[in-house]
Amino acid sequence: MAAARLSASLVLQPRARTLRAFSTSVSPATRSPRPSPSTTERTSRYGRPLRRKALPPRTEKMAVDQDWPSVYPVAAPFKPSAVPLPVRMGYPVKRGVPMAKEGNLELLKIPNFLHLTPVAIKRHCEALKDFCTEWPAALDSDEKCRKHFPIEIDTAGYVSAGPSVRNPKARVVTLRKTEEWEKTKTEADMEEYVWKDSSSEKNILETLLQIKAAEKNLELSKEELLGTEEVEEYRKSVVSLKNEGDNENTLSQYKESVKRLLNLT
Amino acid sequence: MTFELDPGRFLHIGTQAPQCLAAHLDNQVATESPRAISRTSENDPAKHGEQHEGQHYNISFQDLKTVFSHGLPPRFVMQVKTFNEACLMVRRPALELLHYLKNTNFAHPAVRYVFYGEKGTGKTLSLCHSIHFCAKQDWLILHIPDAHLWVKNCRDLLQSTYNKQRFDQPLEASTWLKNFKTANEHFLSQIKVQEKYVWNKRESTEKGSPLGEVVEQGIMRVRNATDAVGIVLKELKRQSSSGIFRLLVAVDGVNALWGRTTLKREDKSPIAPEELAFIYNLRKMVKNDWQGGAIVLTVSQTGSLFKPRKAYLPQELLGKEGFDALDPFIPILVSNYNPKEFESCIHYYLENNWLQHEKAHTEEGKKELLFLSNRNPGQLERLCAYL
Repeated sequence: MAAARLSASLVLQPRARTLRAFSTSVSPATRSPRPSPSTTERTSRYGRPLRRKALPPRTEKMAVDQDWPSVYPVAAPFKPSAVPLPVRMGYPVKRGVPMAKEGNLELLKIPNFLHLTPVAIKRHCEALKDFCTEWPAALDSDEKCRKHFPIEIDTAGYVSAGPSVRNPKARVVTLRKTEEWEKTKTEADMEEYVWKDSSSEKNILETLLQIKAAEKNLELSKEELLGTEEVEEYRKSVVSLKNEGDNENTLSQYKESVKRLLNLT
Repeated sequence: MTFELDPGRFLHIGTQAPQCLAAHLDNQVATESPRAISRTSENDPAKHGEQHEGQHYNISFQDLKTVFSHGLPPRFVMQVKTFNEACLMVRRPALELLHYLKNTNFAHPAVRYVFYGEKGTGKTLSLCHSIHFCAKQDWLILHIPDAHLWVKNCRDLLQSTYNKQRFDQPLEASTWLKNFKTANEHFLSQIKVQEKYVWNKRESTEKGSPLGEVVEQGIMRVRNATDAVGIVLKELKRQSSSGIFRLLVAVDGVNALWGRTTLKREDKSPIAPEELAFIYNLRKMVKNDWQGGAIVLTVSQTGSLFKPRKAYLPQELLGKEGFDALDPFIPILVSNYNPKEFESCIHYYLENNWLQHEKAHTEEGKKELLFLSNRNPGQLERLCAYL
């Protein structure tokens, strides 16, 4: 029978072959019918070596002043039996409390920094000190640092509660140094339309000045002219026209503001 | 080709019938109500008001020859020739503009009005309506019928005699000067130039001589035509502020001034619009740094270069440069016919026996035309040409 099985295995798929391998590793004496071998045996009825009863968790044996870095020397998943804290996590059912740490998947999912306690970090620093050199004595002021190492990159980290671990604000990275050529940013490079110092402002100023000159009303200064309500409305309509593009709304707004500005009925 | 002799209608023989039809109907203006829908007897644009909206008014042949020697769209010219009359519909955008023009303050800088709208909605004809009004009010009309013609398909470009960096377009300039002369004959002797202009070693125009001489010089000596145009523009701009005359600058397709050209130099490098002397001078003309008149413009995609077909909004067609140059301006939207205007147009065609299809005057026929043309004037005109 064994021989027949072996020959059949050549036709079967590799996965089945491993199952075959499993069943051949079992000693022939125990090939008598028994419940499916896929579950771990717990009963002692069939003479299998018994699994030990679950021991008390390690936390009960931990002293208060133990050496924590030896419990979590590296980044490891949360082991409820190894962490002596009575932490709870989860959304409580009605009239309930958050779930305890035993068998808590939420605590397993989140990243933990149990391996990076201050004590552990101190030890890391002590170990790394042998490989470090002194801070150069010449770099004793901020200006000298900036002069020799001009590029500064600012990153920010955030701790926040929410459904996601990530905080979108953490994606913002600032580069501190501005190049000389950035000062030559022209109007064509601007992402958004800025009305100040634009040709539109110049045009409207000239027009208004000419109107005032025609009416022999030269007392108003440039700032006053630009500060009137009509000019303000005109500025808003031009900005919206340039930034949003043409549509009925912006165009009619622009038309109204120009009409009011030029005193057309 | 046979025509059915229908007792109720006149035979469409050609030029004769519509004329006597018009003459016949002229007498019946008070009694017949269908006529009141599509026509008005008020032929002076100055008196057009909201009550005339949707109705056609007649432009006399005299005006056609002088004012509109080069301004009307080609299909309209064909229609005028067929019907032997020039009738223009009074529409709201034009009425709006006429209202502004009537209330212009000539001491203030010239205001710019821009007609914009989709293809075939009637921008050019609205422009012509306002030109007619100004001509009747005795303004000086400076009409550039299509600025796009100046930036493409130009055979002979000469290096400008006045400024070596720029280019001349002698043919176009001399044609334009001829038309300008026809339109403003009576002004040309009144206005005097204020400087001396030397054309070449032998010819020059003295200070104080009439502007007509400059125009003549341009027409005769084609080489100097573009410079003559430049001088005309400069003089008119300078002198309109003094109040002797009122100036209307009308440019169709003004977006050509700030677009691109298809013209190339001998070494095949492209020419920018400002390197053409005419465009350069025209740009100065549409700036609002002069008084005593108005500037009426249209932006159109038809004939424009490198602009998508669906573009009709001012900023799209003018671009950033154009918008900044024209700012501040009053944009006036010209849209498709409203139902009243549509009815009026159909009536006008029916009166002139233009729609020969037997179903044309029925309600279903009208609905079909409405659907097919979407009340777009240009589209409607093209459709009716087949009927």
